[in-house]
Amino acid sequence: MVLVGPSGCGKTTSLRMINRLVEPTEGTILLGGADIRARNPAQLRRGIGYVIQQTGLFPHRTVEDNIATVPVLTGWSRKKARDRARELLTLVGLDQDLARRYPHQLSGGQQQRVGVARALAADPPVLLMDEPFSAVDPVVRASLQDQLLSLQAELRKTIVLVTHDIEEAIKVGDLVALFRPHGTLAQLAPPEELLAAPADDYVAGFVGFDRGIRRLSFVRTAGLVLGTGPVLPADATVAKALAAGEPWILITDPQAGTPRGWADAARLGALPGDTTLGQAAAEPLGHTFTVGTDSLRAALDAAVLSPAGQAVGVDGDGRVLGVATFDQLRVAIQAADAADDREGPRS
Amino acid sequence: MMWSWIPGNWSLIWQLTWENLKLGVLPALYGLVISLPLGIIAARWRWFYPPTLTVVNIVYAIPSIALFVALIPKFGLTDTTVIIALTVFSLCVILPNVVEGMRGVPAAVTQAATAMGYGPLRRLALVELPLAIPVIIAGLRVGVVSSISLASVGQLIGVSSLGYLFIDGLQRSFPTEIYVGLVLVIVLAIICDLILVAVRRALTPWLARS
Repeated sequence: MVLVGPSGCGKTTSLRMINRLVEPTEGTILLGGADIRARNPAQLRRGIGYVIQQTGLFPHRTVEDNIATVPVLTGWSRKKARDRARELLTLVGLDQDLARRYPHQLSGGQQQRVGVARALAADPPVLLMDEPFSAVDPVVRASLQDQLLSLQAELRKTIVLVTHDIEEAIKVGDLVALFRPHGTLAQLAPPEELLAAPADDYVAGFVGFDRGIRRLSFVRTAGLVLGTGPVLPADATVAKALAAGEPWILITDPQAGTPRGWADAARLGALPGDTTLGQAAAEPLGHTFTVGTDSLRAALDAAVLSPAGQAVGVDGDGRVLGVATFDQLRVAIQAADAADDREGPRS
Repeated sequence: MMWSWIPGNWSLIWQLTWENLKLGVLPALYGLVISLPLGIIAARWRWFYPPTLTVVNIVYAIPSIALFVALIPKFGLTDTTVIIALTVFSLCVILPNVVEGMRGVPAAVTQAATAMGYGPLRRLALVELPLAIPVIIAGLRVGVVSSISLASVGQLIGVSSLGYLFIDGLQRSFPTEIYVGLVLVIVLAIICDLILVAVRRALTPWLARS
């Protein structure tokens, strides 16, 4: 669940109401069916992980003691809590050597991972994250987001995450709550629905002008029709390639079946007919997409970047299954629209 | 400078140094003990601080000798009078540091502590005070050093300290005594300061390699 919206829309306030850092003026918040106000705030909070943008790590405690905070508070022995802390370091992808360091000796991305580990230490069923990745650079942010998704696939927690970044909301959310300024809810929907069917102009504007393309992230390539006409192994002759009648030829490895590069048919015409394709000059592929697991957005991107204007689809082992032209991609997109396919390659 | 005076008066010098140390360190410690609760209250309830600071600053402006005079009717010409006066002065330098130290704890850290289920007391003892230590000790250093030097003034009301050497040296026109007293006050101040630096280092291992 992601709460997203502009500054001052109340998303952080909403989040903080869940662990009673802010008390609601009216209404009830139920956690596991019980009113949170019926519980002692400190007790309640020990069962809810909390991650914030500035990490809020304790500067005076080592990484392992930071992570062990809640277990120690709830009465674990220091030894057991530290063992657990080391487990969590591994879980969030950090080296055990960092356990004895102090937070200021870590990079921003590492600190943020420690923050996540600390929130997970007592294995709380609920995790609150307030702009957890906003303070790190885009590359680190992307890797932290990916890690959150894989952690979530493993741990299956209830996570409420606040962000002002709609891209992040769409990437990590199962459900996105988009807020208007001054604290009203504009739309509550799965990300693909937010992109496909924004409730109003405000939502459409917030989601962005390229929502059509981004929505393709949620459409699988399994139904995409692939052509094999231009695909030839490197040991085929130029004459055979020209006979295919394609403007571009995709040269593959004769044994492995992996793609090597694109050859321009106009240039192949200048070579003797009995030369093999392996001897001809080939242009780099750009990138390929994995049929079935990658999204149509990845396939479209592969086509845009390809010198031939065609996307190369491969299987899990990197073997070429076929190529897709813009036309074939368009057909697949329209078919997805018609089927209103909401199942995407989400983790 | 008459060097031979020194070995001849060892026991006097030792005794005065010891007295001076006591008059320097005790007021700073009492000042710390009083400043901690006041500072914690002032850091939490902001309205409390401006009036407290005003009172403390006005008290600091009182000449030490005037404060002695005011205390004499109640406590007499005793150590107690000097210690109370110096405690009040050290309070004036330590309290602001306790408040600043507490306020200097990053908001994100206190918020995270609360969100993880620390109650107010545990948060204070385990998170806020430890993080305020460097600033508090910085105040304590000023408090100790100024008490050590102010302790000499106690000699004016007959409470013995290294100040004796100044007065006696002046009255007898014997500069050696004055020099010895001066050097010892400075050495005492430096030693106490270094000890506090060492204490700060021991209490804040996380600042070691920054």
